[in-house]
Amino acid sequence: MRPDSDALVLLNRLPGVRPAHSSGRRLRRISLLFIAIALVCLFLADLALYPTDPWRELGRIGWGFITPYWADSSTLLSALGQTVAFALLALIISIPLGLMLAVFYHWRPVRMLAAAVRSVHEIFWGLLFMQLYGLSATTGLLAILIPYTGVFAKVFAEMFDRQAPQPTLAVSPLSSRISRYAYTLIPQSLGEMRSYCRYRFECALRSSAILGFIGLPTLGFHLETAFKQGQYSEAAALLWVFFILIASIRFWLRGWLLPVYAALAIWLLPQSPPLGSSYAWQFISQDIWPRALQQGDLAGAAAWYWREFSQVAWPALLQTLYLTQIALVLTGVIALLCYPLASQAISGRALRWPGRLLLLIMRSTPEIMIAFILLLLLGPSGLPAVLALALHNGGLIAFLLANHSEQQPQRADDPKGINRYLYLHTPRLYPGFLAFLFYRWEVILRESAMMGILGIATIGFYIDSAFEEIRYDKAFFLIVVAAALNILIDSLSRRIRRRAGADLSAGVG
Amino acid sequence: MSVNADAAILFQLQQFDLTLGKHRVLHNINLTVRQGEKIAIIGPSGAGKSSLLEVLYRQQPQQIALCPQQGGLVDMLSVYNNIFMGGLERHSSVYNLLNLIRSFNTPRAEIQQLCNELGLEDKLWHSPDRLSGGQRQRVAVGRALYRQQPVFLGDEPVSALDPLQAENILQLLINRHNTLLVSLHNRRLALAHFDRVLALRAGELVYDGPAAALTSNDLDAFYAS
Amino acid sequence: MKKTFKFAAAAGLLLSAFSAFADTFVFTAIPDEDESRLQQRFNKVADYLSAQTGAEVKYIPVKSYAAAITAFRNDQVQLAWFGGLSGVQARKLVAGSEAIAQGYEDQFFKTYFIANKSAGLSAEETLSAALKGKTFTFGSKGSTSGRLMPEFYLREQFNAAPEDIFSRVGFSGDHSRTIAQVQSGAYQVGAVNYTVWDNELAAGNIDPEKIQVIWTTPTYPDYQWTIRGDVDARFGKGFKEKMRKALLEMKDKDLLASFPRESFVPASNDDYAPIENTARAIGLLED
Repeated sequence: MRPDSDALVLLNRLPGVRPAHSSGRRLRRISLLFIAIALVCLFLADLALYPTDPWRELGRIGWGFITPYWADSSTLLSALGQTVAFALLALIISIPLGLMLAVFYHWRPVRMLAAAVRSVHEIFWGLLFMQLYGLSATTGLLAILIPYTGVFAKVFAEMFDRQAPQPTLAVSPLSSRISRYAYTLIPQSLGEMRSYCRYRFECALRSSAILGFIGLPTLGFHLETAFKQGQYSEAAALLWVFFILIASIRFWLRGWLLPVYAALAIWLLPQSPPLGSSYAWQFISQDIWPRALQQGDLAGAAAWYWREFSQVAWPALLQTLYLTQIALVLTGVIALLCYPLASQAISGRALRWPGRLLLLIMRSTPEIMIAFILLLLLGPSGLPAVLALALHNGGLIAFLLANHSEQQPQRADDPKGINRYLYLHTPRLYPGFLAFLFYRWEVILRESAMMGILGIATIGFYIDSAFEEIRYDKAFFLIVVAAALNILIDSLSRRIRRRAGADLSAGVG
Repeated sequence: MSVNADAAILFQLQQFDLTLGKHRVLHNINLTVRQGEKIAIIGPSGAGKSSLLEVLYRQQPQQIALCPQQGGLVDMLSVYNNIFMGGLERHSSVYNLLNLIRSFNTPRAEIQQLCNELGLEDKLWHSPDRLSGGQRQRVAVGRALYRQQPVFLGDEPVSALDPLQAENILQLLINRHNTLLVSLHNRRLALAHFDRVLALRAGELVYDGPAAALTSNDLDAFYAS
Repeated sequence: MKKTFKFAAAAGLLLSAFSAFADTFVFTAIPDEDESRLQQRFNKVADYLSAQTGAEVKYIPVKSYAAAITAFRNDQVQLAWFGGLSGVQARKLVAGSEAIAQGYEDQFFKTYFIANKSAGLSAEETLSAALKGKTFTFGSKGSTSGRLMPEFYLREQFNAAPEDIFSRVGFSGDHSRTIAQVQSGAYQVGAVNYTVWDNELAAGNIDPEKIQVIWTTPTYPDYQWTIRGDVDARFGKGFKEKMRKALLEMKDKDLLASFPRESFVPASNDDYAPIENTARAIGLLED
C-alpha cells in the first residue's frame, strides 16, 4: 500500500518554523488597496441620489416598529417553529456532509464541488429546487443544506490546516484517511467546530427565515407580506420575534436537547401536496437549456449564450462587483465603528446591552428591508443597496469582533475607553477583522443579488427576472455565471487571507 | 552491542541541506543509519534535532514509530484512544470509528497491558489534558509502542520523567525496537543506553561516533555556545 | 402516492406528511391586494368549493406568480387564480388547461400611471413626452397590471424600451409598495392596478396632495381561474364543470372579498388572446 501523501505534506510545517508572520505593514497595504479599489468603484457604480419626501412612510414604519402587533398567535408560533425546524434539520444533515468533504478536501474535485455549491445564494437554490420538488419541505431543506455543506467543508478544512501536525505524525501513514482524521484532526478541531456550528446556526435561522420570501412557511413568508403591504406593526411583531429567537439561542440550544429538537423539527416540517407529473426530469433535460441547444443547433446555442453573456451577464457582473467592493469597505468601517459599543471591555457595562441590541437588529433584519427603508430616504440606486449590505454585514462582523474583544486578556494597567479601543483592541483584532471581512466578501457579492427592487441591474436582479418570466434557460445560465464570479472571489479571498496572514482561530463564513 | 557493518542501510543523507524560508535549518549533513543501531542525538535547543528526526521520518514513515516533541496527544480523546491511534492501520475504518464510540475487548486488553508497563494502569479513561507532564509523555510513548514498528524515532521522549522512570521507559523502548534514534537532553542517558551519538550544533553535525569514545566532558562541550 | 417517493432527501421523514394530501384537490391564489392571513381566508373558499363539488379541497399559499405557475405545472395545484399574464404562461406550459372563470372586474381591467406631484406631471389623454427621463417603477415582474400592460403602452407610445424612456426603472414587487414609493418620491412615476389604487384611496392611505393619476390604460382582461385539463380523469367525469359552476355561483361577499371581486363570470382561453399578443409583442413570451 502506498503511504497516503497527505501525512507527508504535513511534515513540511516543521515545528519552530512558522510561515512569515503577519506584519502591520502588510495588513495596512492590503487595507489601503481595498479602499483604493472602492474609491474607484464609487465613480463606476450606479449611485445616484434622488430627493424624496419619505417622512409619512418612515413615520408609519417607525410607529409600527415600536407598536408590534400580531392577531393570532398560532400562525406566528407555527412560522417560528418552521423557521427553527428548517434551520436545525439542514444543519444536522449538512454538518456531517461538510465534515466528510473536509476530510477529502485535498482532492481537487471535492474542493470544486464545495466551492460550486456554496457559490449560489440560498434563495436561488430554493427557486431551482422548487422546480424539482415543488413547494415542499424538501425544497426548503435542500436550499439551506446544500450551500451550507459547501461552507462547512471549506471552514472545517481550514480548521484542520491550522491544527498541530504532531498527532498526525504519530499515526501510521498507512491507516485510512477517515480513521486518521477521526483520531487526530477532527478531535483536535472539535472545540472550534462546535463554536463555529453555533454561529452557523444563527446564519441558518436567517436563511430559513429569508426562504419564506419565496414561499416556505417560515417567518419570512409573513414578514415579506406584511412589510410589502405596509402593515408595519405586523412586520415589526415578526421581526421582534425573530430578534428574540436569535438573541436567546444560547439559552435554549443545548447539546443534550438536540435529539429532542430534531424529533420536534421533523414533526413540525410542513405538509405539502405531492407533485403529480414527472416534470422534474423535463426541467433538468430541457427547460434549463436554450431551445437552440435542445434542437442540436450548437452555433445557435453559442450565439444565444454569447448574447446573454455580453448583453446581460457581463454588464450586470461589473455593476455587482462595483457595489460589492464599496459595500465591503463600508462594512469594514461600520464594523470597526460599532464593535466597541457592544464590548464590555471598552464601553463598560452600561453601554453593552444597548450596543448588543443595536448589533442584533443590524445583523438580523433582512438586508432587503433595510434597503427598502433606505430607498424611501435616498431614492432608487445602488446607494441604498450598498448601505443596506454594509449595515447588515457590518453589524454581523461587529458582533463577532465584540465577542473577541471581550475575550482579550485584561491587565490592570491597560488604557481605558477610547485609548483602549484605539491602541489595544483594534490593533489586536485587526488581523482577525480582515479575515472576517474577506470571508464575508463572497457573501456580500451573493447578497447584492437580492437588491433588484432598487432598480439596479445586479446579476441577481436578472436571475430573479428570468425566474419570474419563466425563462429557466436564462436563469440557469446566469446562476452559473454568477457562481463562477463567486468562486473567483472565494479563491482570491483565500489567497489574500493567506498572504496577509490574516487568519483566525475561529473562521467565519 | 556493536552493529554489523553489513546490516542493511535504513537512512542515508549526503550533503543534506534544509532551508525553510530564510532559516537554514540543517546544513551539509552526511549520515548513514543501519538496521539495529541505537543512536542518541544531542545538542542545544534549536540545533536542528527535531528537524533531522522529521527528515528521517519522511524517508520511510511506514515502518517508523515516531514520538514527536511534546507528545502530540489529542486532548479530546481518552488515554486509551490516544494509544489506540498508534495501531489504526491494523483495522478497518469502520472498526476504528466504532472504537471511538465503544472500545473493543482485544485492543482494550492490549492497551491496558501497555499502560500497566508504563505505570498508567488507572489512567486509561482519563483525558490527557488532566494528566501531569510525565504522564502525558508516557502516553505518547505508549502510542509509539502500540505502533509496533521496528524503528523508533523519539524527540525528547523522556524529558519530563524522573531519572528512574526515564531509565525504565528508555529501556522498554530499546527492548521493543530494533533501531532507535532518540534526541535527548540527558547526557548520562545518552551514554548509558546508546552505542552511537550524533551531536548537532546550528544545523551542522559536529560529532558522529561511538558513544563509548565520549566522556561526559566531551558532551558538555557540544552544549557550550 | 407513489410519486412522492421520488424525493431524494428527507423522503422518509416526510412521507407521513404527504399522505395527508392524497387525492385532495388543491388550489392556490394570490389576491392583487392584502395578502395577509391568506391561509385563513382561503381556507373558507376551500371549504365552500369542497361543499359544492364533493371533493376534498385544500388551499396552499404561494409568494409569486412564478411559484404559482410552477405549482400548477408540477400538478401540486390543479386550480389557480392567475393574473392575465401568468394564466397565459401557465396554460402554455400545461397542455389542456383552461380558463374557466374570471372576476367581474377582470373583464375590463386597467392600469393607472401615477406620479408624485413633485415630478410636475399632470393628467393627460395620452402618455406625455414629459415622462422621459423620470424615474419609474413597475409592480412585480410577472404582473399583468403592474408590468405587462404598462410596458406595452409605454413601448407603443414611445417606441422604446422602458429603460430607454426613463432614467431608472425599478420593480417594487407589489402594487401597495408602488404607491408607497411614488408617494414618498423615491420613484417619480409608477404603474399600479386600478382596484388597489381605488381601495387605498378609499382607505385614506393616499395623500392627494402628493400623488395623482396621470394616465389610465385602455381596458384589458386580467385575473382568471385556470384549471388543469386532467382533473376529470382524476376527480371524476364532469368535475371541471362542477368546479366552474361552484366558482360562478360563489355569492358570499365574505368569500369574494378575499380576491377581492364582486363576482365571478365565465371566461375562456380566447378571452386572453389580447394578453398573449401583448406579451409576445414586448418579448415576454416567445413563439
